Order: sequence, then structure tokens, then C-alpha cells
Amino acid sequence: MRHGGPVVVLVPRQLRMTGMTGDVPYYGGRFTPAQAYAASHRRPTAPAPRPAPAPPAPSPASTPQREPHETAGTLDALAHLRDSGVLSSAEYDELRARVQ
Amino acid sequence: MTTGPVQVLVVGFDEPSFSGQVMAELERLREAGVVRLVDVLLVRRDEDGSFETLPAPPGSPPGSGTLAADILGAGSAADPDEAGWSLADAVEPGGIAAVALLEHTWATQLVDAIGAAGGRSLGEGWLAAEDRARIPAG
Repeated sequence: MRHGGPVVVLVPRQLRMTGMTGDVPYYGGRFTPAQAYAASHRRPTAPAPRPAPAPPAPSPASTPQREPHETAGTLDALAHLRDSGVLSSAEYDELRARVQ
Repeated sequence: MTTGPVQVLVVGFDEPSFSGQVMAELERLREAGVVRLVDVLLVRRDEDGSFETLPAPPGSPPGSGTLAADILGAGSAADPDEAGWSLADAVEPGGIAAVALLEHTWATQLVDAIGAAGGRSLGEGWLAAEDRARIPAG
């Protein structure tokens, strides 16, 4: 099916989508709200929800700082998301910087 | 220059179409100050995954599709790490679609009011038909 008008090749561009009332804190729909919240909020008194399966790394509720093994678990989870294509390299770097 | 939120609406068709009826309704909405059709572009995705534009729908003003193609296109297929949404996420190979940029002019003051009140967006979506059916007619 061809038409008489000019045909132009279009290479789709990646667009940053936003909500009608502003930026919705989702990563292109790939995160649930809970995952997006966990990724953007540090929770020093409790382990944050994990966006992907990862070795559990609970910390005592009274511990004010992340335990080293918890940080490692979070980094492993982030690496898993990157490797599985959920996160881009840029997103991975940004989230890793927040964790470390 | 737009004043309201602009929606990207992608509608699939078996044949290239954006009927006169649709255009007439959009014109009615524009006159009512509800929605303005910023631009509309017809595209076809070939089986190899590439996109090409199609002639503008009948009745479209000269140059239709140029702005939409500029906004939606000019990408680089070589960067899989680039995050976001693209037409390739919506149109399957072999598909034909009309892509409309719709400015929701009705929402301008509402968005301003929400911002002035310190509100921030946490989620947006459209109710499915089964849930809409539970809403009494206004």
C-alpha cells in the first residue's frame, strides 16, 4: 500500500514523558510507584523495598546507617536491573551514586 | 507556543486514516477551548522496524505533520541505553498509526492551581471501561 505523497523516513526519538500535572515519579512505566519511591528515598532505619530479587540484607531497626552488606545487596539489585534492561546505564549510575 | 499539557495520542489503523469526522470533532473541541490539535502525523512501520511518514489526512492544513515529525523523530537508533518512550514502543512492525499532539487547553488553569497549592503529581491514568461504568452519569 503506497500513496502518492512524499514518504519520509522517520527515526523515532526517545521522548521524556510526563503527566498532565507534572512529572510522575515513574521511570517510563518500568517502575511501580513503590519501586520509584524506594529508589529515590533513603531509609536509614529500615531496609528499602527492592525493585528486583536480591539477597536479603535486613538491618536492625535502630541502625542509623546502611550496613556495608546492605549497600552491596542494593548495588547487586541495581546491577541486575541494568543487566536485564530495566535501567539504562545513566539511570544505573544515578541510582548507584545515591546508594553509595 | 502552547499553554496547556500536550498529549501524544497514537491510534492504530488498518488503513491510513484520520477521518473527517475525527477532524470535525477536534475542531469543535478547539472552538470550545477544550482541546487543540497541535499537529497530526500518519506513520507506517515497515516489517523491518523502520518508520516512514505518510501523506497528511484529507483536509489538513499545508505542512501538517511537520511539527510532529520534528518532535517525535530525528532520533538515533544506535543508543539503546537512551531512556524514554518512542513511537517504536507503540507501533508494531507492519502497523499504521495516526499520531496526534493534543494540547489540553482546559487543563492550563487547573495545572497552575495545583502547582500554586504546592501539589505534585504522584500518579495519573485513565479508568478502564468497567470502572467508568460504575460512575453515575453526570
